[in-house]
Amino acid sequence: MSGYFELLGLPPALTLDAAELQRLFYERSRQWHPDRFARKPEEERQRALDLSSRLNDAYRTLRDPVQRAQYVLAQEGLDAGPQRSADVPPELLEEVFELNMALEELRGGDISVRPQLEAARASFLGMLAAAEARLPELFAAWDAARRRETLAEIRGVLDRRKYIQNLVNEVEKELSAAA
Amino acid sequence: MAYSNKVLDHYNHPRNVGSMDKSDPNVGTGMVGAPECGDVMKLQVKVNPATGIIEEAKFKTFGCGSAIASSSLATEWLHGKTVDEALAIKNTDIVNELSLPPVKIHCSVLAEDAIKAAIADYKKKTAQNADAVAAN
Repeated sequence: MSGYFELLGLPPALTLDAAELQRLFYERSRQWHPDRFARKPEEERQRALDLSSRLNDAYRTLRDPVQRAQYVLAQEGLDAGPQRSADVPPELLEEVFELNMALEELRGGDISVRPQLEAARASFLGMLAAAEARLPELFAAWDAARRRETLAEIRGVLDRRKYIQNLVNEVEKELSAAA
Repeated sequence: MAYSNKVLDHYNHPRNVGSMDKSDPNVGTGMVGAPECGDVMKLQVKVNPATGIIEEAKFKTFGCGSAIASSSLATEWLHGKTVDEALAIKNTDIVNELSLPPVKIHCSVLAEDAIKAAIADYKKKTAQNADAVAAN
């Protein structure tokens, strides 16, 4: 089974032209559209169906920078394995602890912590944006030199992003529950 | 998920919840977190500088029942131990004592990491104080 990049006829690079990706996806989707195989033998029909469905998966995965990076990491054997506590950004821990204290108070009915939680959410969203802003540069570095260290760095950014995203979700859930 | 009775006991009656003064030179603070579940654990030890024995241990954990039970148990075990004995506590000891299922082993790892971080913080402070005394 060929990979997502080959399927779409793209070079296996993390930096990718979104318009080109979309053009290739449409072109190949037309080529393998099941309607065009309606009168073909069962074997060919099935093949067109499989390809169409894989093209959809490929397009959905590759058009999103985070999913694209996760896909390449998995291909290179660097999947999100079990994370160790050492992976949590240490400078974040204090902030996360304080956040949890405030969330506990909010759950206990103390709405005076709302502004603190809203400030925390804004701060975490800022960190999220900062983490994502690093990706294009790391993508270009991987494409140019294919060094494992770059992939490890990307893995780190994605882990951090996921961790912060979970915090944001938690804050938003509690804020709306207390609203 | 079914928690063991020991986990439930620690969860419902956590031992030594609270915090101590971080700036106390005899208090070591360990703060650790689990990236996957967002658990965060603070564990503190107060060491008698003359004997090297941990006289008090406190924790505050935000996380699942197993994470709370693991840190609660850890503070119980720390009480009365020397710093070196504390460092010998392994996450597998916690797993066995609490009968943690495989999916909850990371909670015990977190507790072990928290102990190590608290002791490391205490040792760092003691070394700094020794330097300060030597400098005077």
